[in-house]
Amino acid sequence: MKCLIPLLFASLALLSCKPAGGPANSSSGKPKVALVMKSLANEFFQTMAEGAKKHQAAHAGDYELVVNGIKNETDLAEQVGLVDQMVSQGVQAIVIAPADSKALVTVLKRAKAAGVLIINIDNKLDADTLKQAGLSIPFVGPDNRAGAKAVGEVLAKKLKAGDEVAIIEGVTTAFNGQQRKAGFEDAMNAAGMKIVATQSGQWEMEKANGVAAGILAANPNVKALLCANDNMALGAAAAVQAAGKAGHVQIIGFDNIAALKPLLADGRVLATCDQHGDQLAVFGIEAALKVLKDKTVPGDQQTQVDVITK
Amino acid sequence: MRRFTDFFILMAVLAAMIVLFGLMRESFFSMGTLGTVANRIPALALVATGMTLVMVTGGIDLSVGSLLGFCGAVAGVLMADMHWGLALATTACVGVGALLGGTTGAVSVKLRLPSFIVSLGMLEIARGLAFLTTDSQTKYIGVDIEALGAPFGGLVISPAFVISLVVVAAGQVMLSQMALGRHLIAIGANREAALVSGLSVDRPRIFAHALLGALTGLAAVFNCSRLGSADPNAGTGFELSAIAAVVVGGTSLMGGRGSVMKSFMGVLIIATLEAGLIQIGASEPVKRVVTGVVIVVAVLADTWRRK
Repeated sequence: MKCLIPLLFASLALLSCKPAGGPANSSSGKPKVALVMKSLANEFFQTMAEGAKKHQAAHAGDYELVVNGIKNETDLAEQVGLVDQMVSQGVQAIVIAPADSKALVTVLKRAKAAGVLIINIDNKLDADTLKQAGLSIPFVGPDNRAGAKAVGEVLAKKLKAGDEVAIIEGVTTAFNGQQRKAGFEDAMNAAGMKIVATQSGQWEMEKANGVAAGILAANPNVKALLCANDNMALGAAAAVQAAGKAGHVQIIGFDNIAALKPLLADGRVLATCDQHGDQLAVFGIEAALKVLKDKTVPGDQQTQVDVITK
Repeated sequence: MRRFTDFFILMAVLAAMIVLFGLMRESFFSMGTLGTVANRIPALALVATGMTLVMVTGGIDLSVGSLLGFCGAVAGVLMADMHWGLALATTACVGVGALLGGTTGAVSVKLRLPSFIVSLGMLEIARGLAFLTTDSQTKYIGVDIEALGAPFGGLVISPAFVISLVVVAAGQVMLSQMALGRHLIAIGANREAALVSGLSVDRPRIFAHALLGALTGLAAVFNCSRLGSADPNAGTGFELSAIAAVVVGGTSLMGGRGSVMKSFMGVLIIATLEAGLIQIGASEPVKRVVTGVVIVVAVLADTWRRK
C-alpha cells in the first residue's frame, strides 16, 4: 500500500505539470531522471521500481527521480505517451524498460532528438530496428539467454538424454521472452532432450496453467516444463498437480519472485533465475548519471544473473 | 420444442468439435483432457450464469474480469497474509463481489446510465483495487485453498466443478420456472410493458447485477484454488469469454431471451475449443483467429435459425 502512495502523487504531479520546452535542469539544479517501466502491476517491475526509489532516497542529493509504469504489459500506446510526457517535463535522462522491442524506437528517437539521454533496461531494443532508425541506445541489463541456459542446464542434470520437454514461452513479440526461449533451447539441445511443444503462456499464470494442462494431456511423456517466467511456472505447477503428475514433471522458471519460494522449497519447482530485479533499474540509473557527469558515449553493459534452486 | 432443438444444435457443435480435435490429436480423447476441461470451466460457468441473468434484462457487466481479479486478491490477502480459513475467506469474497456488482447495478439502474458504461468504470476501479490490495504481488496461498479445485474421490472432477453444476442448474430453474426469472425476462423483452403491468423494473435488475457479482466472487475463489495462488492480473479479458459463452448459447444482447443451460453449453464449447487448440499445438495468433471465427459463426447460426 504505502509504496503506491508516492507513485500516485508522482502521477498526479505529472498530470498537473505544464509542458516545459525541452530539457532543462530542474529548479534544484539536480539532474532529473525518468524511469519508464512496463506494468507496475507486475511484481517484477514493482520490485524494480522499489529498488530505484530506495537508491534515489540514498542519493537524494545527486538526482531527482520520476517513476511511471503502464497499466498492462501490452499497452504500447500508453508507454509511448509516457515517454513524450517525460520529454516535455524536461528530464535529462530516461531509463526505459520497453514494452515492445521495436514499437518504442520511434518515440525514443524523438526523445533523443530533443536532447534526452536514453538508457535501455530489461527488454533490449531490437538491433535492426535501431539501426534502421539510425539510433544507438545503450542497453544495461542481464543476458536473458545466458540466464535461461544456466537454469536449463540445472534441469538437464535431472533428466536423461532423449527425454521429452516442453517450453512455455512469454509474449512472443518480446525480446527477453525470445531470448529466454532461445536459452532454454540451447540447454535442451546441448543435453540431447526432445522439445515436443512450445506454446505461449502470455507471461500469465492462468494462461500458462491452461497451456501446461494441454501440453501434459497431449504429451504424456513430457518430463519437464520450462517456463519463461515464475508466474507461468506457478500456473504450470498447479497443472502438473491437477494432472496427478507431481514429482514426475520438473518445472523451471525465471525471475525468482517471492510467491515461488514455497514451491522451490518443496521441489515442485526445480530452479529459477534471479537477475536481481531490484537492482536492474538502479544499474540503468547509475549508467545514466555517469554519462550525464562524464559526457562519455556509453556502450552496452551486462549485469549479473544467478541460478536459484531453493 | 424450440428450446430443445437449440440445445441439440449446441450439443452437435460441441460433439463435432470433440471429434475433430480427436481426429487431429489422438490424445484428445482421454480422461486427462476431460479433467482439464472440467476443472478449467467452473469459474467461467458461474460468471456465465450470472451474466445470462443480467443480459436477459438487457443489461451487461464488463467488470467481471477485474472483479474476479479483485475478489481473488481479497482471498489471497485474507488467506496468505492474515491466515483466514477458506470458508470465511470465501464468504468475504462473495460479499465483496455482491457489493461491487450491486453497486454497478444500482448506479446504472437508479441513475439511468447504461450498464455498459458504469461497468466499464467498475472494470478500472476493481482492477486498481486488486493491485492496491496485493501491493501488485502474486500471493501464494497453497494447500489451504487447493482442495477445492483439485480432483477428488479418485475422479477427474473437482468440488468446484460440482458446485458450478449445481449453480448452473439453480440458475436455470430460477430463470425458467420462478417468478423472479420470468420477471427478469419480461423486463428485458419490453421494459415499458413490464412497468405498465405493475412490475417493479428496478430492483430485479439491481439484484441480477449483485448476484452476478456474488457469483464472480465465488468464481475468484475457484480460480485461486486451481492455481494455489492469487494473481492480481487474473481475469484480464475474462469478461469477453463470459459474454462470448452467453452469446454463443443464444442469449440476446438486447435482452428478453436467454437460457442458463445454453450459456453453459457455450462455456463448454469455448473451453473445449481452447483445450483442443492447445493440444493440437496451434500458435497464439491462430488460436485467436479461430476463437473469433467460432464466436461469430455461432451467433450467425443462431440468428439465421430465428428468421
